[in-house]
Amino acid sequence: MSTLKIENLHVEVGEKEILKGLNLEINTGEVHAIMGPNGNGKSTLLSTIMGHPKYTVTQGKITLDGQDVLAMSVDERARAGLFLGMQYPQEIPGITNSDFLRAAINAKRDEPISLFKFIRTLDKNIEELGMDENLAHRYLNEGFSGGEKKRNEILQMKLLQPRFALLDEIDSGLDVDALRVVAGAINSMRSDEFGCIMVSHYERMFELVKPTHVHVLVQGQIVMSGGYELVEKIDQEGYEWVKELGYDIEQNERQPIILEACGKKGQ
Amino acid sequence: MQAQLLSKIKPIIDLQQDQLSYYMILSSQSSIETRLPQDVLFQDGVLMFQNKKPLTFYMIYAGDEDLHIDIHFQAYCQVNLIEIRVLSSNCTLHKTMKLDEGATVHAFSENLSESAKSLEDVYLQAYANCQYGYSELSDDAFEGRYHFYLDGPEANAKVRTAILSKNQENKHYEILIQHNQPMTYGQMDNYGVVKDKGRLVIDGIGTITKGQHGSSAHQTNKIMMFDESCYACANPYLYIDDYDVQASHAAAVGKMDEEHLYYLQSRGLTKKQAMQLITYGYLMPVVEVIDNDMIKKHFEQSLSKVGA
Repeated sequence: MSTLKIENLHVEVGEKEILKGLNLEINTGEVHAIMGPNGNGKSTLLSTIMGHPKYTVTQGKITLDGQDVLAMSVDERARAGLFLGMQYPQEIPGITNSDFLRAAINAKRDEPISLFKFIRTLDKNIEELGMDENLAHRYLNEGFSGGEKKRNEILQMKLLQPRFALLDEIDSGLDVDALRVVAGAINSMRSDEFGCIMVSHYERMFELVKPTHVHVLVQGQIVMSGGYELVEKIDQEGYEWVKELGYDIEQNERQPIILEACGKKGQ
Repeated sequence: MQAQLLSKIKPIIDLQQDQLSYYMILSSQSSIETRLPQDVLFQDGVLMFQNKKPLTFYMIYAGDEDLHIDIHFQAYCQVNLIEIRVLSSNCTLHKTMKLDEGATVHAFSENLSESAKSLEDVYLQAYANCQYGYSELSDDAFEGRYHFYLDGPEANAKVRTAILSKNQENKHYEILIQHNQPMTYGQMDNYGVVKDKGRLVIDGIGTITKGQHGSSAHQTNKIMMFDESCYACANPYLYIDDYDVQASHAAAVGKMDEEHLYYLQSRGLTKKQAMQLITYGYLMPVVEVIDNDMIKKHFEQSLSKVGA
């Protein structure tokens, strides 16, 4: 069994503190759901675990089986068994999906994977995920629909077989059928050798991939942890009840822009 | 033939194994090794193609002194030309190519030179068609001047250049397509990547002289820099002296997208591996626009070695 442990994590972006003393422990075999209003630190948490250079850890620690994750570079974290399924996967022109996937698989191996084995594995997973057969020859995420990008993230997860997957709103952009396929792929990974942290706003995702633990993240801290009943409560009541716990909710929703010239300001 | 030279060019052509290829190895003005078909002649310093059937030919420039060569393609001959430049330090290659009416030349030129110069002039007569792919990944400073003159109506030149400058290498390329007759077409796509204190200047020049109506001059010059210690300059010049023409240019110098690097590293690729892949990906569009399979294949092979 492996353990990913986050203790008293404080993270800043620029001058602003986003995570304010967050604690979380996850073992392989578990699926943790993280829910919370927009702009409260869910994506920051996952990106910080993966090592995005934009986020500065000012206090606290992250360990993987006792190893200091914060001391590792991004690629070392990946090779140690962490995987981040991104909310907005990058489009990289000129690099075909298959070249990229083969390089990523080989990065974790001492001996390069044989071309035959790679193609067989890739084709099998592409078929299981119901993806376009030509995907291997297309440039990495370039021109992919939102749903295709998310499936491509899951494809990478399946090929790289991480110990811990961090999935950031992996359900956004997916239609009902695609959601079922992606959920099936995540469920197929579940084992005593695999742990997962999932960020999502929707009960539907957690209906299909039942979490073992559910956490509510508000103002950079986990304010409540429980089981699936928390998902149902949030689905029915939203986050207003969190205020009763003594936390203000800062919704960081995108606001519509009112243009001075043509808006109806003041009406 | 020198063993060192053979090993350098082996990834492109294995002359010891391949007994069927036609080639010329120009090591100095007095040291020339050839295997020529009957309809290709070498006389008085001029290599003359008179072939009626399409032909693939290898040119290897491997001098440790300045080299001069004239290549003449007679009317309506078709040649796939694969060039390998292995010039020693401080050498200059002076090359002139003439394409007679209707001649078609698809050329791929790989640069494996030391700090050297290549001065090349290509003259195209009516209906001549020349596509040139330059793979400029050599491990030293380099000065390349590639000029194309469209001297006959409906002559057509397409030039693609992929350049890598690294480890304080200073590289400068001047690519000119000059339209001296009406209804001519010129297009160049020059892509560069600069890293590790490399320097790269690309001057792309499109000239349409007066009276050359119906001509088209298009160019794209793009350079990606990996860090701020690099120097890069992409200069597009269009000199148009006629109204009834089409012309366009695009130039961009930008920094590598850090998010791309992060994405690739988050899948386990080291920074070096990720940068190699990004470099390869950046230069690949040069290959994409090539509509000749021979040039495309050689270009892809060449670029796959980027940073390896």
